[in-house]
Amino acid sequence: MNNTEILQIVSGFIGSLGFGVLFNIRGKKLIIASIGGLLAWLLFILFNKAISNEAICYFIVAAIISAYAEISARLCKTPATTFITTSLIPLIPGSSLYYTMSSVFSGGLENFMEKAIYTLQLASSLALGIILSTAFLKIFLKLITAKNKNYLTDKTEV
Amino acid sequence: MFGYIIDIGEQMLLSGAEVHRVEESISRMGYALGAERVDVFIITSSMVVTFHTKNGETYTQTRRITTSNTDYEKLHQLNELSRNICDKRLSEIQITNQLELISNIKKAPIWVEIICFSIIAGAFTLFFGGNIKESVISLIIGAIVRITIYFPEMIISNKIFNKFLSTVIITLLTFLLLKCKIIMSADNIIIGNIMTLIPGIGLTNALRDLFTGDSIAGLLRLIEAVLMALAISAGYFLVTLWGGFVI
Repeated sequence: MNNTEILQIVSGFIGSLGFGVLFNIRGKKLIIASIGGLLAWLLFILFNKAISNEAICYFIVAAIISAYAEISARLCKTPATTFITTSLIPLIPGSSLYYTMSSVFSGGLENFMEKAIYTLQLASSLALGIILSTAFLKIFLKLITAKNKNYLTDKTEV
Repeated sequence: MFGYIIDIGEQMLLSGAEVHRVEESISRMGYALGAERVDVFIITSSMVVTFHTKNGETYTQTRRITTSNTDYEKLHQLNELSRNICDKRLSEIQITNQLELISNIKKAPIWVEIICFSIIAGAFTLFFGGNIKESVISLIIGAIVRITIYFPEMIISNKIFNKFLSTVIITLLTFLLLKCKIIMSADNIIIGNIMTLIPGIGLTNALRDLFTGDSIAGLLRLIEAVLMALAISAGYFLVTLWGGFVI
């Protein structure tokens, strides 16, 4: 891991922390959420060394981070959205949105289409990763808690 | 009594909970308070809730939701309150007291928000490959943008317009610096600042709502996110085209 990558991980952590404060997350939860941001980019770098397709990396990292978020949400007894939205901040395709915009002037239609589709690809693999991971975790937890029936039983959807 | 449940649900939605979660919380609380059947339908801009009691009475309320302001501390407290209502059977007075306490939760004051915006902008300039100098400039621009957007925001609470205005300011300042030869490239500074505006969370939440079956709520959020992205692009285009800054 070289210097730029370490710098990226640290600044991803700071970015997540900043958003955490903006969203009024407090105490222990703020730390968990920003460490999620750090983990997100660390994992992305590691996976990107093995898999060159960034969309697939986004998908895998989003799935892992939302599992992390769901588990910490259950430990902190708080909605999982808190951790999911804040931890995945470094993965938001901000730069590719910008390059899509600027390619209108500098690259011609083909280049623009390519960039736009790439941005959509990243965003949708991010969302898909979150959804699948949350769904599987819910099924898993339901299987565990199926024995001791509590108030969870009135709904069967995922 | 049922009115309080709807209040709690409304507040949850306002502080950034997903539609799915609010629907589930409302119906759980309803059943815990002795309703025989609970029908909840929520989209991001309105709520319709009906409780059927065991005596054959029905209570229905509709709420119109206009603003939303992400506040996860509030959401956390509301979630705890709804758990307590289900498990501990709080009395009416206890619930009102709790709701009063929760509505007094303050978000970070404006100066903290300004600092956060500039730190986020600076951090993401570094993140996307800018050097230290660019990052410091981005930090300053981030603060300036948050301060200048503060007053328009008080008058017009239209998010799309405010994002447009912010992007205009960001792009204008950055290209002016580029013209004065203070910086060599505008890309990383604009990207860092755009990260504070981008509807990435909105977009992911929209797709999540869509996939979990709340199609209408998801579509509304999706359109909102796309419009915001378009507003950001429009602000960028306005400056680059009519400002004569085409590189």
